[in-house]
Amino acid sequence: MISYLRRGLLQHLRHSRTLLALTVLGVALGVASVVAIQTLNQGSLLAFDGSVRAISGQADLSVTGTLPTFPESLLPTVLGDADVTAAWPLIRANVAVSGRPDLNLDVVGFDVFAPVRYPLQSAAATQADPFSSLHDALVQPGWVAITPELSAQEGWKVGDVIRVSSGSRALELTVGALVDFRRFEPLAPRRLAVMDIAQAQEMFGRPGRIQQIDIVLRKGADAPTVAVRLQAAVGPGVRVQTPEQRRQDASQLLAAFRLNLTALSLISVFVGVFLVLTAVQASLVRRRHEFGLLRSLGATRAQVMGLVLGEAAALGVLGVVLGVPLGWLAARHNLQTVSATLTSIYVTEGIDKLTLPPLVIALGAAVGLLGALGGALLPAWDLARRDPLRLLSPLSVHEAAGRAAGRLALAAAALAVGGSLWFFTAGHELRLGGFLYGLVMLLALPLLVPLLVRSVCGLARPGGFGFALSLRNLLARLQATGFAVAALAITVSMMFGITILVGSFRQTLVTWLDVTIRADIYISSESWQRTGNDAYLDPALLETLRSWPGVVSLEEQRRLRVLAVDGRPVWLNGLRLTDRPLPGVPQADMAGRLPLMAGEPHAAVAALRSGSVLIGEPLARKAHLGVGDTLRLAGPAGEVALPIAGVSYDYTSEGGTAFVNLDVLNARFDAAPPNNAALFLAPGTDVEATVDALKNALAGRPLVIRSNRTLRSEVLAVFDQTFAVTRTLQAMALLIAALGVSVTLLIQAHERAGELALLRALGATRRQVFGLFLGEGTAMGALGLLLGLGGGIGLAALLILVINRTWFGWTIRPAWPGATLGLQAVVVLAVAALAAVYPASRARLARPGQLTRDDL
Amino acid sequence: MTDDILQLESVTMTWDAGEGGGRTVLDGVDLNLARGEAVSLVGRSGSGKSTLLHVAAGIAVPTTGSVRLAGHDLTASSEEARTRLRRDHVGLVFQFFHLLPHLSLRENVAVPGWIAGDDRARTGHRADELLARVGLGDRAGDAVGKLSGGEMQRVALCRALLRGPALVLADEPTGSLDDRTGREVMDLLLEMTRAEGGALLYVTHSPELAARADRTWRLVDGRLLPGAAA
Repeated sequence: MISYLRRGLLQHLRHSRTLLALTVLGVALGVASVVAIQTLNQGSLLAFDGSVRAISGQADLSVTGTLPTFPESLLPTVLGDADVTAAWPLIRANVAVSGRPDLNLDVVGFDVFAPVRYPLQSAAATQADPFSSLHDALVQPGWVAITPELSAQEGWKVGDVIRVSSGSRALELTVGALVDFRRFEPLAPRRLAVMDIAQAQEMFGRPGRIQQIDIVLRKGADAPTVAVRLQAAVGPGVRVQTPEQRRQDASQLLAAFRLNLTALSLISVFVGVFLVLTAVQASLVRRRHEFGLLRSLGATRAQVMGLVLGEAAALGVLGVVLGVPLGWLAARHNLQTVSATLTSIYVTEGIDKLTLPPLVIALGAAVGLLGALGGALLPAWDLARRDPLRLLSPLSVHEAAGRAAGRLALAAAALAVGGSLWFFTAGHELRLGGFLYGLVMLLALPLLVPLLVRSVCGLARPGGFGFALSLRNLLARLQATGFAVAALAITVSMMFGITILVGSFRQTLVTWLDVTIRADIYISSESWQRTGNDAYLDPALLETLRSWPGVVSLEEQRRLRVLAVDGRPVWLNGLRLTDRPLPGVPQADMAGRLPLMAGEPHAAVAALRSGSVLIGEPLARKAHLGVGDTLRLAGPAGEVALPIAGVSYDYTSEGGTAFVNLDVLNARFDAAPPNNAALFLAPGTDVEATVDALKNALAGRPLVIRSNRTLRSEVLAVFDQTFAVTRTLQAMALLIAALGVSVTLLIQAHERAGELALLRALGATRRQVFGLFLGEGTAMGALGLLLGLGGGIGLAALLILVINRTWFGWTIRPAWPGATLGLQAVVVLAVAALAAVYPASRARLARPGQLTRDDL
Repeated sequence: MTDDILQLESVTMTWDAGEGGGRTVLDGVDLNLARGEAVSLVGRSGSGKSTLLHVAAGIAVPTTGSVRLAGHDLTASSEEARTRLRRDHVGLVFQFFHLLPHLSLRENVAVPGWIAGDDRARTGHRADELLARVGLGDRAGDAVGKLSGGEMQRVALCRALLRGPALVLADEPTGSLDDRTGREVMDLLLEMTRAEGGALLYVTHSPELAARADRTWRLVDGRLLPGAAA
């Protein structure tokens, strides 16, 4: 049987090269979407992991603060534990490279004499004077060692000076050595730089403060046990964690982002299954006599089924071979935007190196093979269950789907009702419930295709050689064309679902920006976007701004990453608000700027001034908190309990965000200057002219000065970038669906050779036959659009009202991005028509003399 | 200018038989068909009858010789032009009916009108009228799958006559039917073609049916000879 399978495959390959190529390409694209997304997902985790390993790779435990820094006086306590053989402090700062808005350095200050292996020491050991580097590191101001990759990328050599900034302070670093972190950790970040910890503390204004203590334990010591003991010893202001726990924290931070992309990529695989189904079914219809003969000669049902599945598996293998590299290329293509999204929203570590882990290759292979086998299963089973006589007799399969249309639609309704009942009674309590519900709905969608095609195409009354005849032709071959329509419908559902979600989200964001972004000018530092915590604006600068001509009020904001007592990270925003009414500047009224979803604005402002907190919607949803509850945060000296005065719509983070009075933040956590300043100008002051004047006056300072309008457009640009990768996934799914149209019509051109010959004999020109097929492709697109529109609206509702709220916690007001949807509809129709061009060009070659007695 | 709708002069058709050889299917065929005339064509299987019809319809182009249809030289025409000439001047009837199974009787009959872009309503009325003439008027909306062989051929006959062609070419139109049904279909074919004013060239194996034409030709080894076989 194996040799028969091989011969059959080769023969099939010779006779149906184009068909097979298109099918393999479809499988490959499905595999590619999964591989691309998983590569990027893994990349995001590995970037964090690489960073942790590069810096703390030898540590058994790490001590980190519930606030960004903690006193170095904790080090002796740690070293005092009997199981600790070594411990060394670290401090990290993310600095912006001047004149390079896209380049930040992660500077790590460490003890050059720490009793552990460090790349710097290795580098020093290879030099003639091994101590010269270490000596320079200690005494040369701004001495820093950078990675060879960064040196090569930027052309920086030993001795070069790098101008950077941390907050509003401009600093100079001198390249003192190159350190190859990747010798120890292949995924170490390229933009890592190391310097002596004392210099770093001085340079970044944190004398006596550190961010981390790495610990090596005695051989045989149980890390979790020591962690618990150390935690008790060092107190509540810090956390003692194993490296694995830190990785899990990062993994959870990215969980929603990764899961959503994974789900979208799997839709492409689902679409690809229909393509395989179409191709395999066509192949079986064509070869039914062959299989009938095999059965007559004694082949069992299992053997026949095995043959078909074996051929499908071969298709799958080819799809995997092509799809994995394609996925890798797609991942590389999207690397920058995904990395930028991660650093804009989630973590400080961007992805600067992609790897293709064996696990991702295995996943791609499994998806390709299972997809191909899944697509072949139904036609294979259908073939195997028929008796040899039926296989040898002429077969009319196309009526089957039409006859079953009602039953299939009932099955779809049963799935939808059953799925809904399950979801609204039990499923909604599961975190993955929304995704499962969506999957059930997507499974129900294809079952509606026969009824839709029968209903719509049945209305067509051909009165000429045009579109109505194309519709009738689709109806006549429903069993074959239905799969392509189903694939298109699923793709359109995905496209429209995401587009409605993104459009609604964007509109919600614009409305939110209208309410919250009211000041005329916003000022922050170049390094703020990445670090938030320590990108301070110095007090002298704030005074300059406050007294600038035309400025009637300056509001200060400080952002600090803290932890809730349950370990949940919370971005705590300290606000120093305008404390008096500003004549002629009504937009400065704080009560009018609070987009509250719970609480009364004026009462909330008053409560804010007296020490209460406003929390963002995601935090409220995820921590189940509301007005009247208490937000419990881990402060430097224990729990800080803040009464919640309001819950505000907030789209700055999918994690926790809370707002307090800046004085409360400074008093209860640690005192530091603000990160941002917002200026309100006197009525009639030219905003853009003031921005220009400030930029001129403060030229050379590492500041970002933006007008209200610029800030809003930048926020929206980040938003658009966040969804850029979904466009790639949409395009890949549409391409697979288009291949489905091509494959279906190519098969039709072959199977309907007799009909086409008749039409040509009756006087149809080649152009008319071409047009007929083009019309059929467009009709498939139109039917897919029609069903997909319904599916898309349902999917959007699910994404907006269920999945988004569960995973991200945002309220999104549904909107109808009509123009974008209209454009996408045109694109779908055009792609479907384009997909029909090649089959149509084959069909037009039908010759009127080809008619045989078996035709029609 | 003659009144002939079809003129074949010295038509030769040779199929490539590979290795430089060829098989001559038509050998110097001369044939004229006047408007309103019915001509039958007989001959053994493989004698080239169907090829002759294909040549007459412009479906195939002869190796040598000339074919004129309604005054147009088919051998000098492009494929596109021959298609249009066939559409406008020729009605085809096949042995195996070749109806489109997904269309109703009326729609099957109307297909040539759709192809030609004729007025939709007029085409529909014409199809109904023809179907009524062959006794299928009350079933115009039915699917063709429900028809018997004779009924299918009657529908095919209506389709061939829809646009009032000057020439009807019928390739063994009764070959798939029993004798009685075959005779009935032949009656209709002759009667309706004459009534429409068209010429008819039909292939048959039946001497009886062949004799009903105004003239009969025999094809023997690619050569056209007058009269029925002895």
